[in-house]
Amino acid sequence: MSSLQGYVDRRVLLVLQDGRAIVGVMAGFDQRSNIVLSDCKERVFSMDEGVEEIALGLYLVKGDMISLIGELDEEIDSSVDLSTIRADPLQPIRY
Amino acid sequence: MLPLSLLSAAQNKPMLVELKNGETFNGHLVNCDNFMNITLREVYQTSADGDRFWKLKECYIRGSTIKYLRVPDTLLDQVKEEQNRAREANRNSRGGHTGPNRGGRGAPIRGSRGGGRGGPLRGGRGRGRGL
Amino acid sequence: MQLIFSVFKTLTDQTVTVELKNDLSITGVLKSVDQFLNIRLDNIKVSDENRHPHMMAVKNCFIRGSVVRYVQLPAEHVDTQLLEDATRRGVFCIRGSPSGC
Repeated sequence: MSSLQGYVDRRVLLVLQDGRAIVGVMAGFDQRSNIVLSDCKERVFSMDEGVEEIALGLYLVKGDMISLIGELDEEIDSSVDLSTIRADPLQPIRY
Repeated sequence: MLPLSLLSAAQNKPMLVELKNGETFNGHLVNCDNFMNITLREVYQTSADGDRFWKLKECYIRGSTIKYLRVPDTLLDQVKEEQNRAREANRNSRGGHTGPNRGGRGAPIRGSRGGGRGGPLRGGRGRGRGL
Repeated sequence: MQLIFSVFKTLTDQTVTVELKNDLSITGVLKSVDQFLNIRLDNIKVSDENRHPHMMAVKNCFIRGSVVRYVQLPAEHVDTQLLEDATRRGVFCIRGSPSGC
């Protein structure tokens, strides 16, 4: 599970199996890819209005709920005006 | 920091637990184990659609059914501090002797592994015949 | 499983496209794999970015093996003959792959 090591203390985008997108700082993880995210904000995407960010705080997410973790390029991320983005939420995982 | 250290430090703290089926549980953590099975006390349970509530005195949740736990923000710094203090205490208790890798549990010194355990280095025994 | 793990290891630093079970399709350079077939991709690009702007600011990512539906491999870097042989003979690792098994 060495692949998550590079994300510790970085700001990441977490995509959950239910389709939710959460940004936060990766504070830690374990062998089962359970992760601790601090300063979490959920990004709610919709077609009708811009992206809404909801502050969630400190989260412990079970590894089996994770679809994807991406490192956020802070420069690009802060240059994007979230209120202008229209998109459907990501699909939940379907087996 | 390990997720389980955070969880065990959350004992007696309020938390919100969401299950994979969308139900949520608000309560104080009584106990937890390595599977993230937990017991909560003074619990408010909410149905997945959010329009039904139950109050429970105490409840047990199997770790494998949990989606995530939300814990107080202050817990992170608290755990980090505790870990620093533990590390400090550990260093002092070994007292005097400087330098890392002095016996005990530290990481093995490179190259000191010797034969014995661990897979074969190259060729030879592995499974099957290889290609 | 071990065989496929070895195959992926031989493909590190190649460009692959990973299709997820949430219909996201991500192309990137394969950086690492582990025993669960979790995948690290670098320099990623999401297909149909207009429909999926969620990952605009993401340059590299970790994908959980269990949510991968397909991985498109570069055909020229997969020795299918070798794979077929190995599978038939029940040999579950390829010597010379970085796993060293």
